[in-house]
Amino acid sequence: MLKVSKLLTLLLIVSVVLAACGGNNENEGTNTGAGGAADEKVELTAWAWNVNVGALNSAMELYKKDHPNVELKVEDIGRLDVYDKLSTGLAAGGAGLPDIVLVEDDRIQGYLEAFPKGFVNLSEKGFDNKADSFPAFKKELASKDGQFYAFPFDAGPTGMFYRTDIFEQAGVNPETITTWDEFIAAGKTIKEKTGAQAVPIDKFKDDALFRMMLNQQGVYYFDKEGKIDFNNPQVVKAMETIKAMGDADLVKDVNGWDGTVSATIDGTVATVPFGAWYYGTIIDQAKDASGKWGVFQLPAFEKGGNRASNLGGSSWMIPSESKNADAAYAFAEYFATTDEVQLIAMEQHGLFPSLQTVYESELFQNDVEFFSGQKIWKLFSEEMKDIPTPYYTKDYALALDEAVKAQADTFNGKNPADALKEAAQRLADRTKREINQ
Amino acid sequence: MRTKAYVPYLFLTPALGLFAVFMAYPIIYSFLLSFQTSEAGEMVPAGLSNYQRLFSDEIFLTALTNTFVIMVIQVPLMLFFAIVLASSLNAVKRLKGVFRVSFFMPAVTSLVAYSIIFSIMLMGDGIINQLLAAFGIGAIPWLSHPWWAKAALILAMTWRWIGYNMVIYLAAMQNIQESLYEAASIDGASRIKQFFSITIPQLKPVILFTAILSTIGTLQLFDEPYTLTKGGPSDATLTIGMYLYQTGFRYFDFGYASTLAYVIVVIIAVLSFIQFKVTGDE
Repeated sequence: MLKVSKLLTLLLIVSVVLAACGGNNENEGTNTGAGGAADEKVELTAWAWNVNVGALNSAMELYKKDHPNVELKVEDIGRLDVYDKLSTGLAAGGAGLPDIVLVEDDRIQGYLEAFPKGFVNLSEKGFDNKADSFPAFKKELASKDGQFYAFPFDAGPTGMFYRTDIFEQAGVNPETITTWDEFIAAGKTIKEKTGAQAVPIDKFKDDALFRMMLNQQGVYYFDKEGKIDFNNPQVVKAMETIKAMGDADLVKDVNGWDGTVSATIDGTVATVPFGAWYYGTIIDQAKDASGKWGVFQLPAFEKGGNRASNLGGSSWMIPSESKNADAAYAFAEYFATTDEVQLIAMEQHGLFPSLQTVYESELFQNDVEFFSGQKIWKLFSEEMKDIPTPYYTKDYALALDEAVKAQADTFNGKNPADALKEAAQRLADRTKREINQ
Repeated sequence: MRTKAYVPYLFLTPALGLFAVFMAYPIIYSFLLSFQTSEAGEMVPAGLSNYQRLFSDEIFLTALTNTFVIMVIQVPLMLFFAIVLASSLNAVKRLKGVFRVSFFMPAVTSLVAYSIIFSIMLMGDGIINQLLAAFGIGAIPWLSHPWWAKAALILAMTWRWIGYNMVIYLAAMQNIQESLYEAASIDGASRIKQFFSITIPQLKPVILFTAILSTIGTLQLFDEPYTLTKGGPSDATLTIGMYLYQTGFRYFDFGYASTLAYVIVVIIAVLSFIQFKVTGDE
């Protein structure tokens, strides 16, 4: 038997078994639910990964001051494993799922379309009143048909993280770079004077920069109606820009995340376009380069064009089968809408909040020493309101797959428009969606 | 004293229980799933539509072709070199243990770990291209060109599995009677002639065994392309195993994923049957 198929069904069974076991300790405190009832003991479970786990635990410490009856057990599971477990659990009718689960924004719509009954409708529990504190794109990603299903958490407003010393050595002033054409011209100068390439791209496996460029122009893989938008001139323009960088030998081909990080550290690239969350990686991995980093916004496609974009970010969801849905709602709402929690998440765990009320706090006005005293958090927070909404749909994973192939074909010599046209056709075959001509 | 008739079954119960839960149930359930499709988060009967879909699914056909190309090149190549290696090692008199262990070592490394190391070595500016540059050979796009990516995969798999097969052959060679070689020497047969006329025919049942194992292994190929190339560039190294995983866990299409699993089972059964028929005497 095939290893994977065995694993798949095995997971199903394990989750069923675990659900049966899990039933015992949830007996107390069920159904009456509300996290406020001080005499009812409630133990919430949550699945999250990486720094998000610490953020959850910090928030719970604060929350427990007023809700001593609530306990939280966070399971630190790898990002992709969370999705594997969540998918199998939902496919098994919600068996074995936690009360709160972290889901990245680009996956939310996929889960909501594939499992429409899988998650608690937050609007019915009154989340609509709180929603105005979040930027428009984040609200749209967390809801379906006007109903909220996810608590917006962190976001990834994008920027070009750049090495100030390399730019200085080449005599390039980043403030003069306002369009991608200017960026390419500057990149050539930098390459010539310092040998550093402009950007790292995982040419054949990931298309992060392409997605940033699409979001920036207010387009994406799909349009608002869910039609395939690969042939949109703006989408083609993005791919052509990436190709132009490649043709000018400004792209360093990196292998996955680790490759990107090592290129960041060793100074073989002058800029790294990424979400605000990359700050954490830079200060952690490139400790020696303190004071040698800066950030500017993505260059626009034409003079005066939009420079705001988003990459990454996640939200909290409550599976419908949760026995403690009310208590989970109360805690998750507290987490998502409390300034103090979001500040801790930002300060201690490097998670950029989408809760706009915190942007007024001092932290966001501060100079950041590592970044040569630049007010990078101010830059990112001001960007948030201008970020267009990307349309992911439930077929996002397929579209991503085809977009990466189009990028690979482009780097292997195909004309960008043709590569995207073929990708659009393949995607149409796989999803039965219409293509915008 | 005779044991009661039920006692052996009692001892078998744990094994049978585990087999039922972790083997029999998944096999049956995934078979049922292969006739279902997900609608609004619930599995509904879909008849044969998943199986019909296979024939018009170009990505499945690509994955199938890739898997067969890799298999047809990699399996014979690896098995041949494994036999050559085994018979050379069989002739080695000194430091026998050292040689055997060093060739077998790759077989005990973790699949993911070795794939990651290969992906680092095969990078555009990785150590292998640096070595080639030292000999004046230009950089090879190991992981980015459709054909080179397949070659890289074959290279990595051969490194990983050659020692394993070599050990099996080495063991089998201990059973070939020395007198056969002596007689051949007296008749004036060269070492190479002996290798093809004695060693290989004598190893036939073992070769069949390893060929079937390797075929099955290649049809299930997952770890290497997943870590080395993610199936790319442009699906050039997408295997059926990887496509199955993506379909189930990334596209949430458990029904179709189960169908793919059964396709692999059928292909393995057919190929194993053919191999038995072609090479077997009985």
